[in-house]
Amino acid sequence: MPWPLNIDPQQILLHWMNLAILVGGLYFLLYKPVKQFMAKRDEHYRELDQQAQDKLLQADRIQAEYKEKLEGAEEEIRQSRAKAQQSLQQSVQEQLDQAQAQAELIVSRAHADAERTREQALYDSQQDIRRLAETAAKRLALHEDPFDQFLDLAEGGTDHESK
Amino acid sequence: MNQHKKGLVVWIGIVLLLLAGALLAGPGDRVETVQETMRDAVLHNVNRISLLGLKEVNPGLISAFLVTIILLIAAALIRIFAVPRFRYIPGKLQLLLEQAVGLFDNMARGASPHRFRFVGAYIFAAGAFIFVGTLFELLGIQVVTVGGHPITLPAPLSDVNAAIALGTLSYLVILSGGVAANGVKGVGKTLKEFSLPISMSFRLFGALLSGLLVTELVYYYVNLSFVLPVVVGVLFTLLHAVIQTYVLTMLTSMYYGEVSEPSPPKPKKKKQASSPAEHA
Repeated sequence: MPWPLNIDPQQILLHWMNLAILVGGLYFLLYKPVKQFMAKRDEHYRELDQQAQDKLLQADRIQAEYKEKLEGAEEEIRQSRAKAQQSLQQSVQEQLDQAQAQAELIVSRAHADAERTREQALYDSQQDIRRLAETAAKRLALHEDPFDQFLDLAEGGTDHESK
Repeated sequence: MNQHKKGLVVWIGIVLLLLAGALLAGPGDRVETVQETMRDAVLHNVNRISLLGLKEVNPGLISAFLVTIILLIAAALIRIFAVPRFRYIPGKLQLLLEQAVGLFDNMARGASPHRFRFVGAYIFAAGAFIFVGTLFELLGIQVVTVGGHPITLPAPLSDVNAAIALGTLSYLVILSGGVAANGVKGVGKTLKEFSLPISMSFRLFGALLSGLLVTELVYYYVNLSFVLPVVVGVLFTLLHAVIQTYVLTMLTSMYYGEVSEPSPPKPKKKKQASSPAEHA
């Protein structure tokens, strides 16, 4: 007895065989290779993403390190500046002290020189006075009225001083 | 501007000429009546084709074999020439292939998250078969029947045997998913949906057959062959190729996901300690 609707089990089996061949063939020829490629690309981009994340983390770490170093450097600069300032002040003070000492030395020398000059001048003037006195005495004693000579001498001395 | 006008006049002239030809030609010598044509389109029991001299088969089976051959040759060519040239930034063909594979793979993953590898491959092949098989009728490949009449090969699934084969095979795939995931329980789960092979088979058959009947009807009357086949033959075919592909693959992956879902372990019944009063 034939099946209704022209259903033929043999042809259904042939269709099954055809579909089985198609499923297997398309799986091995197309579906699997394309999926493998897509998975490979996903893996590639995942790796890239991971590398980018790693680099980002590394960059953050380096940034933190540099920030830390920068902060250390600022402190170091501050200390160096303080040290330099201290050294400068010390140097200035030393120079001031030296200048002071030198000034004192110069002043003391100047004082000594002045004293010596004064003494010399005093001595010289005494010598002059003595010599004048001697000269006057000699003249008085030898030639003229001593009073007139004295007067002449005195007038001449005034002229000499005015010159 | 003049060229455009000339072109328009030529086009209208050709259209009118074809219309006049269609109207004046009239029906040719009919080999069979419209009733016989419709009946044969449904049953395929008149115009049969010899399968390599071994057996007389429905033209749908020949169509199915041809569709498989076309698909496998295309797949082999793609495998040999296109796949090795795939790049991380895809070209047009690569994008199309990845979209096709990704579509069915994602459908399988979405509908059957526990087991999706096998069902993904199956619905990819089934989808390709339905889509290409439905569009196959547009090629209008002519063959000679055992009776000596030339006929155009129909879509494979307009043959009830092909529809039953695909429906039952899909059911077997669903059953295999149930068995693989849940053993005997999976068989039970699958057998609960005993109407599934019938519904899937005849849904496919009905959908494809309705399209075929309308097309047959249109082509039977030559006066209807002006403009109308463009809509009926091409657009409808394209539309239900997409719809039927989506429906069968979605149903298969959905039921596969349902039966392959692992059953939750039954909570163990704790033995209640009997009260002293009961002992008494």
